[in-house]
Amino acid sequence: MVLKTILVFLIGLLGYSEWLLGTSYIQRPIVLGPLVGLVMGDMQAGIIMGATLELAMIGAISVGAYNPPDLISGTILGVSLAISSGAGADAALTLGIPIATVMLAVDTALGQPIMLFFIHRCDKYAETGNIKAFNRCMFIAGYAQSIGGIICIPLAFYFGSDAVTKLLGNIPDFVQTGMDITAALLPALGFAMLAQTMMNKKVAPFFFIGFFLVAYFNISTTGAAVFSILMVLVMVMFGAFGKTGGDAAAIEAEVDGGDFDEF
Amino acid sequence: MSFSVHSDYNKIITKKDLKKVFWRSIPYEHSWNYERMGNVGYTYAMYPILKKLYPEKDDLARAMKRHLTLYNVTPYISTFPLGISAAMEEANATEDDFETESIGAVKSALMGPLSGIGDAFFWGTLRVIATGIGCTLALKGNILGPLLFLLIFNVPHYALRYLGTFLGYKLGSESIEKITASGLMGSVMEAASIVGMMVVGAMTMDMTAINFITEIGSGEEATTLQELLTGIVPGLPVLGLFGIVYWMLKKKLNPLLIMLIMLVFGIIGAFFGFLG
Repeated sequence: MVLKTILVFLIGLLGYSEWLLGTSYIQRPIVLGPLVGLVMGDMQAGIIMGATLELAMIGAISVGAYNPPDLISGTILGVSLAISSGAGADAALTLGIPIATVMLAVDTALGQPIMLFFIHRCDKYAETGNIKAFNRCMFIAGYAQSIGGIICIPLAFYFGSDAVTKLLGNIPDFVQTGMDITAALLPALGFAMLAQTMMNKKVAPFFFIGFFLVAYFNISTTGAAVFSILMVLVMVMFGAFGKTGGDAAAIEAEVDGGDFDEF
Repeated sequence: MSFSVHSDYNKIITKKDLKKVFWRSIPYEHSWNYERMGNVGYTYAMYPILKKLYPEKDDLARAMKRHLTLYNVTPYISTFPLGISAAMEEANATEDDFETESIGAVKSALMGPLSGIGDAFFWGTLRVIATGIGCTLALKGNILGPLLFLLIFNVPHYALRYLGTFLGYKLGSESIEKITASGLMGSVMEAASIVGMMVVGAMTMDMTAINFITEIGSGEEATTLQELLTGIVPGLPVLGLFGIVYWMLKKKLNPLLIMLIMLVFGIIGAFFGFLG
Protein backbone atom coordinates (compact mmCIF):
# COMPACT_ATOMS: atom_id res chain seq x y z
CA MET A 1 0.00 0.00 0.00
CA VAL A 2 2.82 2.40 0.88
CA LEU A 3 4.62 1.57 -2.36
CA LYS A 4 1.43 2.10 -4.34
CA THR A 5 0.87 5.43 -2.61
CA ILE A 6 4.36 6.58 -3.56
CA LEU A 7 3.84 5.51 -7.18
CA VAL A 8 0.45 7.24 -7.30
CA PHE A 9 2.14 10.38 -5.94
CA LEU A 10 4.75 10.16 -8.72
CA ILE A 11 2.05 9.86 -11.38
CA GLY A 12 0.48 12.96 -9.86
CA LEU A 13 3.79 14.77 -10.10
CA LEU A 14 4.14 13.73 -13.73
CA GLY A 15 0.63 15.01 -14.42
CA TYR A 16 1.38 18.37 -12.85
CA SER A 17 4.59 18.57 -14.93
CA GLU A 18 2.38 18.85 -18.01
CA TRP A 19 3.16 22.53 -18.49
CA LEU A 20 6.85 22.12 -17.78
CA LEU A 21 6.97 19.44 -20.48
CA GLY A 22 5.51 21.49 -23.31
CA THR A 23 1.74 21.19 -22.63
CA SER A 24 1.96 17.87 -24.48
CA TYR A 25 -1.31 16.48 -23.02
CA ILE A 26 0.40 13.89 -20.82
CA GLN A 27 -2.03 15.07 -18.13
CA ARG A 28 -5.14 13.94 -20.05
CA PRO A 29 -7.16 11.06 -18.53
CA ILE A 30 -6.47 8.86 -21.58
CA VAL A 31 -2.75 8.98 -20.71
CA LEU A 32 -2.83 9.01 -16.90
CA GLY A 33 -5.52 6.31 -16.68
CA PRO A 34 -3.28 3.51 -18.04
CA LEU A 35 -0.40 4.58 -15.78
CA VAL A 36 -2.64 4.39 -12.72
CA GLY A 37 -3.94 1.04 -13.97
CA LEU A 38 -0.39 -0.25 -14.25
CA VAL A 39 0.34 0.72 -10.64
CA MET A 40 -2.92 -0.82 -9.44
CA GLY A 41 -2.20 -4.08 -11.27
CA ASP A 42 -4.96 -3.79 -13.86
CA MET A 43 -3.72 -1.81 -16.82
CA GLN A 44 -6.60 -2.89 -19.05
CA ALA A 45 -9.12 -1.34 -16.65
CA GLY A 46 -6.97 1.80 -16.42
CA ILE A 47 -6.97 2.25 -20.20
CA ILE A 48 -10.75 1.87 -20.42
CA MET A 49 -11.46 4.12 -17.42
CA GLY A 50 -9.04 6.73 -18.74
CA ALA A 51 -10.80 6.78 -22.11
CA THR A 52 -14.22 7.01 -20.41
CA LEU A 53 -13.10 10.01 -18.37
CA GLU A 54 -11.44 11.54 -21.42
CA LEU A 55 -14.69 11.46 -23.38
CA ALA A 56 -16.76 12.93 -20.56
CA MET A 57 -14.25 15.72 -20.07
CA ILE A 58 -13.23 16.35 -23.68
CA GLY A 59 -14.60 19.88 -23.42
CA ALA A 60 -12.63 20.62 -20.25
CA ILE A 61 -9.40 22.16 -21.37
CA SER A 62 -7.66 25.42 -20.70
CA VAL A 63 -8.20 27.65 -23.67
CA GLY A 64 -7.85 31.38 -23.35
CA ALA A 65 -8.49 32.17 -19.71
CA TYR A 66 -10.98 29.36 -18.97
CA ASN A 67 -9.76 27.01 -16.28
CA PRO A 68 -11.11 23.46 -16.39
CA PRO A 69 -11.59 21.11 -13.41
CA ASP A 70 -8.37 19.52 -12.16
CA LEU A 71 -8.46 16.38 -14.28
CA ILE A 72 -5.13 15.17 -12.93
CA SER A 73 -6.35 14.54 -9.39
CA GLY A 74 -9.77 13.50 -10.72
CA THR A 75 -8.32 10.87 -13.03
CA ILE A 76 -5.71 9.50 -10.63
CA LEU A 77 -8.02 9.23 -7.63
CA GLY A 78 -11.09 8.20 -9.64
CA VAL A 79 -9.30 5.40 -11.49
CA SER A 80 -7.21 4.16 -8.55
CA LEU A 81 -10.10 4.08 -6.10
CA ALA A 82 -12.40 2.44 -8.65
CA ILE A 83 -9.87 -0.30 -9.38
CA SER A 84 -8.99 -0.90 -5.72
CA SER A 85 -12.66 -1.33 -4.84
CA GLY A 86 -13.27 -3.60 -7.81
CA ALA A 87 -15.71 -1.24 -9.52
CA GLY A 88 -16.03 -0.27 -13.17
CA ALA A 89 -15.50 2.77 -15.39
CA ASP A 90 -18.76 4.32 -14.20
CA ALA A 91 -17.38 4.48 -10.65
CA ALA A 92 -14.19 6.14 -11.91
CA LEU A 93 -16.43 8.81 -13.46
CA THR A 94 -18.68 9.37 -10.47
CA LEU A 95 -15.68 9.56 -8.15
CA GLY A 96 -13.32 11.45 -10.43
CA ILE A 97 -15.45 14.37 -11.57
CA PRO A 98 -16.42 15.73 -8.11
CA ILE A 99 -12.79 15.36 -7.00
CA ALA A 100 -11.61 17.30 -10.06
CA THR A 101 -14.09 20.08 -9.34
CA VAL A 102 -13.14 20.41 -5.68
CA MET A 103 -9.43 20.41 -6.51
CA LEU A 104 -9.89 23.24 -9.01
CA ALA A 105 -11.38 25.32 -6.21
CA VAL A 106 -8.47 24.43 -3.90
CA ASP A 107 -5.93 25.33 -6.59
CA THR A 108 -7.61 28.65 -7.32
CA ALA A 109 -7.91 29.63 -3.66
CA LEU A 110 -4.59 28.27 -2.41
CA GLY A 111 -2.28 27.55 -5.34
CA GLN A 112 -2.71 30.74 -7.38
CA PRO A 113 -1.79 33.20 -4.60
CA ILE A 114 1.35 31.20 -3.75
CA MET A 115 2.21 31.07 -7.41
CA LEU A 116 1.78 34.83 -7.81
CA PHE A 117 4.16 35.40 -4.92
CA PHE A 118 6.88 33.60 -6.88
CA ILE A 119 5.96 35.35 -10.14
CA HIS A 120 6.56 38.66 -8.38
CA ARG A 121 9.91 37.36 -7.16
CA CYS A 122 10.77 36.78 -10.84
CA ASP A 123 10.20 40.48 -11.53
CA LYS A 124 12.58 41.37 -8.76
CA TYR A 125 15.30 38.98 -9.88
CA ALA A 126 15.04 40.15 -13.49
CA GLU A 127 15.72 43.65 -12.23
CA THR A 128 18.77 42.64 -10.22
CA GLY A 129 20.02 40.31 -12.94
CA ASN A 130 20.00 37.21 -10.75
CA ILE A 131 19.07 34.72 -13.46
CA LYS A 132 19.54 31.61 -11.35
CA ALA A 133 17.00 32.84 -8.82
CA PHE A 134 14.71 33.87 -11.70
CA ASN A 135 14.76 30.33 -13.09
CA ARG A 136 14.28 28.81 -9.66
CA CYS A 137 11.23 30.97 -8.94
CA MET A 138 9.72 30.11 -12.30
CA PHE A 139 10.20 26.40 -11.58
CA ILE A 140 8.64 26.65 -8.11
CA ALA A 141 5.79 28.88 -9.31
CA GLY A 142 4.56 26.24 -11.74
CA TYR A 143 4.32 23.56 -9.08
CA ALA A 144 3.03 25.97 -6.43
CA GLN A 145 -0.23 26.39 -8.35
CA SER A 146 -0.84 22.63 -8.08
CA ILE A 147 0.21 22.31 -4.44
CA GLY A 148 -3.29 21.19 -3.40
CA GLY A 149 -3.33 18.28 -5.80
CA ILE A 150 0.27 17.26 -5.15
CA ILE A 151 -0.48 16.93 -1.42
CA CYS A 152 -4.04 15.60 -1.62
CA ILE A 153 -3.57 12.82 -4.19
CA PRO A 154 -1.37 10.51 -2.06
CA LEU A 155 -3.31 11.29 1.14
CA ALA A 156 -6.74 10.70 -0.38
CA PHE A 157 -5.48 7.51 -2.02
CA TYR A 158 -3.97 6.14 1.19
CA PHE A 159 -6.88 6.95 3.49
CA GLY A 160 -9.77 6.79 1.00
CA SER A 161 -9.54 3.28 -0.42
CA ASP A 162 -11.35 1.43 2.38
CA ALA A 163 -14.10 4.02 2.70
CA VAL A 164 -14.77 4.00 -1.04
CA THR A 165 -14.83 0.19 -1.18
CA LYS A 166 -17.41 0.09 1.62
CA LEU A 167 -19.47 2.84 0.03
CA LEU A 168 -19.56 1.19 -3.40
CA GLY A 169 -20.41 -2.18 -1.83
CA ASN A 170 -23.59 -0.77 -0.31
CA ILE A 171 -25.03 0.73 -3.48
CA PRO A 172 -28.32 -0.86 -4.65
CA ASP A 173 -28.38 -2.60 -8.02
CA PHE A 174 -30.57 -0.10 -9.87
CA VAL A 175 -28.25 2.76 -8.88
CA GLN A 176 -25.34 0.71 -10.20
CA THR A 177 -27.18 0.20 -13.52
CA GLY A 178 -28.09 3.89 -13.53
CA MET A 179 -24.43 4.83 -13.15
CA ASP A 180 -23.56 2.57 -16.08
CA ILE A 181 -26.22 4.24 -18.22
CA THR A 182 -24.98 7.69 -17.16
CA ALA A 183 -21.40 6.80 -18.09
CA ALA A 184 -22.63 6.20 -21.64
CA LEU A 185 -24.63 9.46 -21.69
CA LEU A 186 -21.87 11.72 -20.38
CA PRO A 187 -19.82 12.00 -23.59
CA ALA A 188 -22.76 14.00 -24.98
CA LEU A 189 -21.98 16.68 -22.39
CA GLY A 190 -18.27 16.63 -23.25
CA PHE A 191 -18.96 17.02 -26.96
CA ALA A 192 -21.60 19.69 -26.35
CA MET A 193 -19.09 21.73 -24.32
CA LEU A 194 -16.52 21.31 -27.06
CA ALA A 195 -18.98 22.12 -29.85
CA GLN A 196 -20.19 25.23 -28.05
CA THR A 197 -16.74 26.82 -28.17
CA MET A 198 -16.29 26.03 -31.88
CA MET A 199 -19.81 26.55 -33.18
CA ASN A 200 -20.77 29.26 -35.62
CA LYS A 201 -23.14 29.42 -38.58
CA LYS A 202 -20.44 28.53 -41.09
CA VAL A 203 -19.35 25.28 -39.47
CA ALA A 204 -22.64 24.08 -37.95
CA PRO A 205 -23.67 21.95 -40.98
CA PHE A 206 -20.38 20.06 -40.77
CA PHE A 207 -21.23 18.83 -37.30
CA PHE A 208 -24.29 17.12 -38.77
CA ILE A 209 -22.36 15.75 -41.74
CA GLY A 210 -19.96 14.07 -39.33
CA PHE A 211 -22.79 12.89 -37.12
CA PHE A 212 -24.90 11.29 -39.85
CA LEU A 213 -21.88 9.86 -41.64
CA VAL A 214 -21.47 7.66 -38.57
CA ALA A 215 -25.20 7.21 -37.91
CA TYR A 216 -26.03 5.99 -41.42
CA PHE A 217 -22.84 4.31 -42.58
CA ASN A 218 -21.45 3.22 -39.24
CA ILE A 219 -17.90 4.31 -40.11
CA SER A 220 -15.38 4.98 -37.34
CA THR A 221 -14.29 8.38 -36.06
CA THR A 222 -10.97 7.88 -37.84
CA GLY A 223 -12.88 7.35 -41.08
CA ALA A 224 -14.85 10.53 -40.52
CA ALA A 225 -11.59 12.41 -39.89
CA VAL A 226 -10.18 11.15 -43.20
CA PHE A 227 -13.33 12.23 -45.09
CA SER A 228 -13.39 15.62 -43.41
CA ILE A 229 -9.78 16.37 -44.39
CA LEU A 230 -10.43 15.26 -47.97
CA MET A 231 -13.57 17.36 -48.08
CA VAL A 232 -11.73 20.47 -46.92
CA LEU A 233 -9.07 19.83 -49.56
CA VAL A 234 -11.77 19.67 -52.24
CA MET A 235 -13.27 22.88 -50.90
CA VAL A 236 -9.83 24.51 -51.13
CA MET A 237 -9.51 23.38 -54.75
CA PHE A 238 -12.82 25.00 -55.57
CA GLY A 239 -11.71 28.17 -53.82
CA ALA A 240 -14.20 28.07 -50.97
CA PHE A 241 -11.90 29.90 -48.56
CA GLY A 242 -10.15 32.49 -50.71
CA LYS A 243 -12.86 35.15 -50.50
CA THR A 244 -10.72 37.84 -48.91
CA GLY A 245 -8.04 37.70 -51.59
CA GLY A 246 -5.72 34.99 -50.30
CA ASP A 247 -4.20 32.80 -52.97
CA ALA A 248 -5.41 29.24 -53.08
CA ALA A 249 -1.99 27.66 -53.49
CA ALA A 250 -0.73 29.04 -50.23
CA ILE A 251 -3.87 27.93 -48.42
CA GLU A 252 -3.59 24.48 -49.84
CA ALA A 253 -0.03 24.19 -48.63
CA GLU A 254 -1.21 25.32 -45.24
CA VAL A 255 -3.98 22.75 -44.93
CA ASP A 256 -1.88 20.06 -46.47
CA GLY A 257 1.39 20.27 -44.60
CA GLY A 258 0.24 22.34 -41.70
CA ASP A 259 3.40 24.42 -41.68
CA PHE A 260 4.30 27.86 -42.89
CA ASP A 261 7.21 26.83 -45.07
CA GLU A 262 5.61 27.61 -48.36
CA PHE A 263 5.60 31.38 -48.51
CA MET B 1 10.39 39.96 -50.17
CA SER B 2 11.95 42.75 -48.22
CA PHE B 3 11.48 43.41 -44.54
CA SER B 4 12.88 46.16 -42.42
CA VAL B 5 14.06 43.76 -39.75
CA HIS B 6 14.63 40.86 -42.07
CA SER B 7 17.77 38.92 -41.35
CA ASP B 8 19.58 35.88 -42.70
CA TYR B 9 21.71 35.13 -39.69
CA ASN B 10 24.23 37.74 -40.78
CA LYS B 11 24.18 39.77 -37.61
CA ILE B 12 24.55 38.54 -34.06
CA ILE B 13 21.92 35.86 -33.58
CA THR B 14 22.76 32.46 -35.00
CA LYS B 15 20.67 29.41 -35.75
CA LYS B 16 22.07 27.86 -32.60
CA ASP B 17 20.69 30.70 -30.48
CA LEU B 18 17.27 30.19 -31.98
CA LYS B 19 17.43 26.48 -31.21
CA LYS B 20 17.96 27.44 -27.60
CA VAL B 21 14.78 29.54 -27.79
CA PHE B 22 12.90 26.50 -29.10
CA TRP B 23 14.06 24.34 -26.18
CA ARG B 24 13.34 27.03 -23.65
CA SER B 25 9.86 27.58 -25.09
CA ILE B 26 8.82 24.11 -23.91
CA PRO B 27 8.03 25.12 -20.28
CA TYR B 28 6.27 28.27 -21.56
CA GLU B 29 3.00 27.49 -19.75
CA HIS B 30 4.57 26.14 -16.55
CA SER B 31 4.40 29.54 -14.90
CA TRP B 32 1.15 30.63 -16.57
CA ASN B 33 -0.69 32.82 -14.06
CA TYR B 34 -3.88 34.85 -13.87
CA GLU B 35 -2.06 38.12 -13.47
CA ARG B 36 0.18 38.36 -16.55
CA MET B 37 -0.31 34.88 -18.00
CA GLY B 38 2.70 33.68 -20.00
CA ASN B 39 5.00 36.57 -19.11
CA VAL B 40 7.66 34.65 -17.17
CA GLY B 41 7.67 31.76 -19.63
CA TYR B 42 8.17 34.14 -22.54
CA THR B 43 11.04 35.91 -20.81
CA TYR B 44 12.63 32.60 -19.89
CA ALA B 45 12.62 31.55 -23.56
CA MET B 46 13.97 34.94 -24.69
CA TYR B 47 16.82 34.94 -22.19
CA PRO B 48 19.67 33.47 -24.34
CA ILE B 49 18.91 36.03 -27.06
CA LEU B 50 18.75 38.95 -24.66
CA LYS B 51 21.91 37.92 -22.86
CA LYS B 52 23.82 37.80 -26.12
CA LEU B 53 22.47 41.10 -27.41
CA TYR B 54 22.85 43.11 -24.21
CA PRO B 55 26.15 42.44 -22.43
CA GLU B 56 25.54 45.45 -20.17
CA LYS B 57 23.71 44.48 -17.00
CA ASP B 58 21.34 47.45 -17.09
CA ASP B 59 20.37 46.88 -20.72
CA LEU B 60 19.67 43.23 -20.01
CA ALA B 61 17.49 44.05 -17.01
CA ARG B 62 15.53 46.55 -19.08
CA ALA B 63 15.08 44.04 -21.88
CA MET B 64 13.84 41.36 -19.50
CA LYS B 65 11.42 43.77 -17.91
CA ARG B 66 10.13 44.61 -21.38
CA HIS B 67 9.12 40.98 -21.85
CA LEU B 68 7.68 40.49 -18.37
CA THR B 69 4.47 42.25 -19.39
CA LEU B 70 1.24 40.33 -19.97
CA TYR B 71 1.45 37.81 -22.77
CA ASN B 72 -0.74 34.96 -23.92
CA VAL B 73 -0.52 32.69 -26.94
CA THR B 74 -1.25 29.06 -27.77
CA PRO B 75 1.88 27.36 -26.34
CA TYR B 76 2.46 25.18 -29.41
CA ILE B 77 3.19 28.19 -31.60
CA SER B 78 4.74 30.41 -28.94
CA THR B 79 8.04 30.13 -30.82
CA PHE B 80 6.64 32.18 -33.70
CA PRO B 81 6.24 35.43 -31.72
CA LEU B 82 9.46 34.54 -29.90
CA GLY B 83 11.30 34.40 -33.22
CA ILE B 84 9.84 37.73 -34.24
CA SER B 85 10.82 39.26 -30.91
CA ALA B 86 14.34 37.89 -31.36
CA ALA B 87 14.66 39.56 -34.77
CA MET B 88 13.34 42.83 -33.38
CA GLU B 89 15.57 42.76 -30.32
CA GLU B 90 18.52 42.18 -32.62
CA ALA B 91 17.55 45.19 -34.68
CA ASN B 92 17.11 47.18 -31.50
CA ALA B 93 20.59 46.28 -30.32
CA THR B 94 22.31 46.99 -33.63
CA GLU B 95 20.39 49.92 -35.14
CA ASP B 96 20.45 53.36 -33.57
CA ASP B 97 17.11 54.61 -34.82
CA PHE B 98 15.07 51.53 -33.87
CA GLU B 99 11.96 52.23 -31.82
CA THR B 100 12.16 49.98 -28.80
CA GLU B 101 8.44 50.30 -28.04
CA SER B 102 7.58 48.55 -31.29
CA ILE B 103 8.85 45.23 -29.88
CA GLY B 104 6.08 45.11 -27.29
CA ALA B 105 3.54 46.53 -29.71
CA VAL B 106 4.15 43.85 -32.34
CA LYS B 107 4.09 41.13 -29.69
CA SER B 108 0.75 42.33 -28.40
CA ALA B 109 -0.72 42.68 -31.85
CA LEU B 110 0.11 39.04 -32.52
CA MET B 111 -1.65 37.70 -29.43
CA GLY B 112 -5.20 37.67 -30.76
CA PRO B 113 -4.76 36.36 -34.31
CA LEU B 114 -2.11 33.80 -33.35
CA SER B 115 -4.11 32.41 -30.45
CA GLY B 116 -7.17 32.27 -32.68
CA ILE B 117 -5.47 30.17 -35.32
CA GLY B 118 -3.49 28.16 -32.76
CA ASP B 119 -6.53 27.23 -30.69
CA ALA B 120 -8.55 26.35 -33.77
CA PHE B 121 -5.86 24.10 -35.20
CA PHE B 122 -4.27 22.46 -32.15
CA TRP B 123 -7.14 22.39 -29.76
CA GLY B 124 -10.19 22.22 -31.99
CA THR B 125 -8.81 20.01 -34.76
CA LEU B 126 -5.62 18.12 -34.01
CA ARG B 127 -6.55 17.22 -30.43
CA VAL B 128 -10.06 16.19 -31.46
CA ILE B 129 -8.68 13.86 -34.14
CA ALA B 130 -6.09 12.45 -31.69
CA THR B 131 -8.75 11.92 -29.03
CA GLY B 132 -11.15 10.33 -31.51
CA ILE B 133 -8.65 7.78 -32.75
CA GLY B 134 -7.12 7.24 -29.30
CA CYS B 135 -10.44 6.71 -27.51
CA THR B 136 -11.81 4.35 -30.14
CA LEU B 137 -8.92 1.99 -29.37
CA ALA B 138 -8.64 2.73 -25.65
CA LEU B 139 -12.31 1.97 -24.96
CA LYS B 140 -11.55 -1.58 -26.10
CA GLY B 141 -8.64 -1.68 -23.65
CA ASN B 142 -5.98 -1.34 -26.35
CA ILE B 143 -2.75 0.31 -25.15
CA LEU B 144 -2.24 1.71 -28.66
CA GLY B 145 -5.05 4.17 -27.85
CA PRO B 146 -3.11 6.39 -25.43
CA LEU B 147 0.12 5.96 -27.43
CA LEU B 148 -1.49 7.04 -30.70
CA PHE B 149 -3.21 9.90 -28.90
CA LEU B 150 0.17 11.27 -27.79
CA LEU B 151 1.86 10.68 -31.17
CA ILE B 152 -0.88 12.14 -33.36
CA PHE B 153 -0.92 15.28 -31.27
CA ASN B 154 2.74 15.75 -30.46
CA VAL B 155 4.51 14.97 -33.74
CA PRO B 156 2.87 17.90 -35.57
CA HIS B 157 3.04 19.95 -32.36
CA TYR B 158 6.80 19.73 -31.97
CA ALA B 159 7.44 20.03 -35.72
CA LEU B 160 5.47 23.28 -35.87
CA ARG B 161 6.94 24.56 -32.61
CA TYR B 162 10.43 24.00 -34.01
CA LEU B 163 9.76 25.53 -37.43
CA GLY B 164 7.93 28.48 -35.91
CA THR B 165 11.09 29.73 -34.22
CA PHE B 166 13.02 30.18 -37.47
CA LEU B 167 10.01 31.31 -39.43
CA GLY B 168 9.21 34.02 -36.92
CA TYR B 169 12.80 35.21 -36.92
CA LYS B 170 13.05 35.28 -40.72
CA LEU B 171 9.78 37.02 -41.35
CA GLY B 172 10.23 39.56 -38.60
CA SER B 173 7.61 42.03 -37.58
CA GLU B 174 5.93 42.54 -40.92
CA SER B 175 4.93 38.93 -41.34
CA ILE B 176 1.74 39.20 -39.38
CA GLU B 177 0.49 42.12 -41.48
CA LYS B 178 1.26 40.22 -44.67
CA ILE B 179 -0.52 37.13 -43.47
CA THR B 180 -3.53 39.04 -42.20
CA ALA B 181 -3.77 41.06 -45.38
CA SER B 182 -3.72 37.94 -47.54
CA GLY B 183 -6.71 36.55 -45.65
CA LEU B 184 -4.77 33.37 -45.07
CA MET B 185 -5.23 33.41 -41.31
CA GLY B 186 -9.02 33.43 -41.55
CA SER B 187 -9.05 30.75 -44.23
CA VAL B 188 -6.85 28.36 -42.30
CA MET B 189 -8.94 28.88 -39.18
CA GLU B 190 -12.10 28.17 -41.14
CA ALA B 191 -10.69 25.04 -42.75
CA ALA B 192 -9.40 23.76 -39.42
CA SER B 193 -12.73 24.43 -37.72
CA ILE B 194 -14.59 22.50 -40.40
CA VAL B 195 -12.44 19.40 -39.91
CA GLY B 196 -12.73 19.76 -36.14
CA MET B 197 -16.49 20.19 -36.24
CA MET B 198 -17.01 17.16 -38.47
CA VAL B 199 -14.92 14.96 -36.20
CA VAL B 200 -16.80 16.22 -33.15
CA GLY B 201 -20.05 15.30 -34.90
CA ALA B 202 -18.74 11.85 -35.75
CA MET B 203 -17.47 11.25 -32.20
CA THR B 204 -20.76 12.35 -30.68
CA MET B 205 -22.55 9.62 -32.61
CA ASP B 206 -19.76 7.07 -32.27
CA MET B 207 -19.15 7.36 -28.54
CA THR B 208 -22.40 8.38 -26.90
CA ALA B 209 -24.99 5.72 -26.15
CA ILE B 210 -28.60 5.99 -25.03
CA ASN B 211 -30.99 3.10 -25.28
CA PHE B 212 -34.76 3.35 -24.67
CA ILE B 213 -35.80 -0.22 -23.93
CA THR B 214 -39.50 0.44 -23.40
CA GLU B 215 -41.44 -2.17 -25.39
CA ILE B 216 -44.04 -1.09 -27.86
CA GLY B 217 -46.70 -3.46 -29.20
CA SER B 218 -46.90 -7.11 -28.25
CA GLY B 219 -46.15 -10.57 -29.56
CA GLU B 220 -44.64 -10.81 -33.04
CA GLU B 221 -44.89 -7.07 -33.62
CA ALA B 222 -43.13 -6.13 -30.38
CA THR B 223 -40.40 -3.57 -30.80
CA THR B 224 -38.60 -1.15 -28.54
CA LEU B 225 -38.91 2.60 -28.52
CA GLN B 226 -35.24 2.72 -29.53
CA GLU B 227 -35.85 0.71 -32.70
CA LEU B 228 -38.81 2.89 -33.55
CA LEU B 229 -36.78 6.09 -33.18
CA THR B 230 -33.69 4.87 -35.04
CA GLY B 231 -36.01 3.50 -37.70
CA ILE B 232 -37.12 7.05 -38.48
CA VAL B 233 -33.60 8.53 -38.48
CA PRO B 234 -30.55 6.60 -37.28
CA GLY B 235 -28.93 8.34 -34.35
CA LEU B 236 -32.07 10.27 -33.42
CA PRO B 237 -31.91 9.43 -29.67
CA VAL B 238 -28.26 10.49 -29.42
CA LEU B 239 -28.92 13.67 -31.39
CA GLY B 240 -31.84 14.49 -29.11
CA LEU B 241 -29.68 13.98 -26.03
CA PHE B 242 -26.92 16.13 -27.52
CA GLY B 243 -29.43 18.84 -28.43
CA ILE B 244 -30.87 18.99 -24.91
CA VAL B 245 -27.43 19.15 -23.30
CA TYR B 246 -26.29 21.79 -25.80
CA TRP B 247 -29.38 23.85 -25.02
CA MET B 248 -28.75 23.54 -21.26
CA LEU B 249 -25.18 24.79 -21.73
CA LYS B 250 -26.49 27.68 -23.80
CA LYS B 251 -28.84 28.53 -20.92
CA LYS B 252 -25.64 28.89 -18.85
CA LEU B 253 -26.33 25.88 -16.66
CA ASN B 254 -23.25 24.73 -14.79
CA PRO B 255 -21.75 21.63 -16.48
CA LEU B 256 -21.57 19.96 -13.07
CA LEU B 257 -25.29 20.50 -12.55
CA ILE B 258 -26.00 19.07 -16.00
CA MET B 259 -23.89 16.06 -15.06
CA LEU B 260 -25.95 15.62 -11.90
CA ILE B 261 -29.20 15.87 -13.91
CA MET B 262 -27.88 13.18 -16.25
CA LEU B 263 -26.98 10.95 -13.30
CA VAL B 264 -30.46 11.34 -11.80
CA PHE B 265 -32.00 10.68 -15.23
CA GLY B 266 -29.88 7.55 -15.65
CA ILE B 267 -30.80 6.20 -12.21
CA ILE B 268 -34.52 6.94 -12.68
CA GLY B 269 -34.30 5.27 -16.09
CA ALA B 270 -32.76 2.19 -14.53
CA PHE B 271 -35.29 2.14 -11.68
CA PHE B 272 -38.34 2.30 -13.93
CA GLY B 273 -36.68 0.22 -16.60
CA PHE B 274 -37.07 2.54 -19.59
CA LEU B 275 -33.33 2.91 -20.11
CA GLY B 276 -30.87 0.08 -20.55
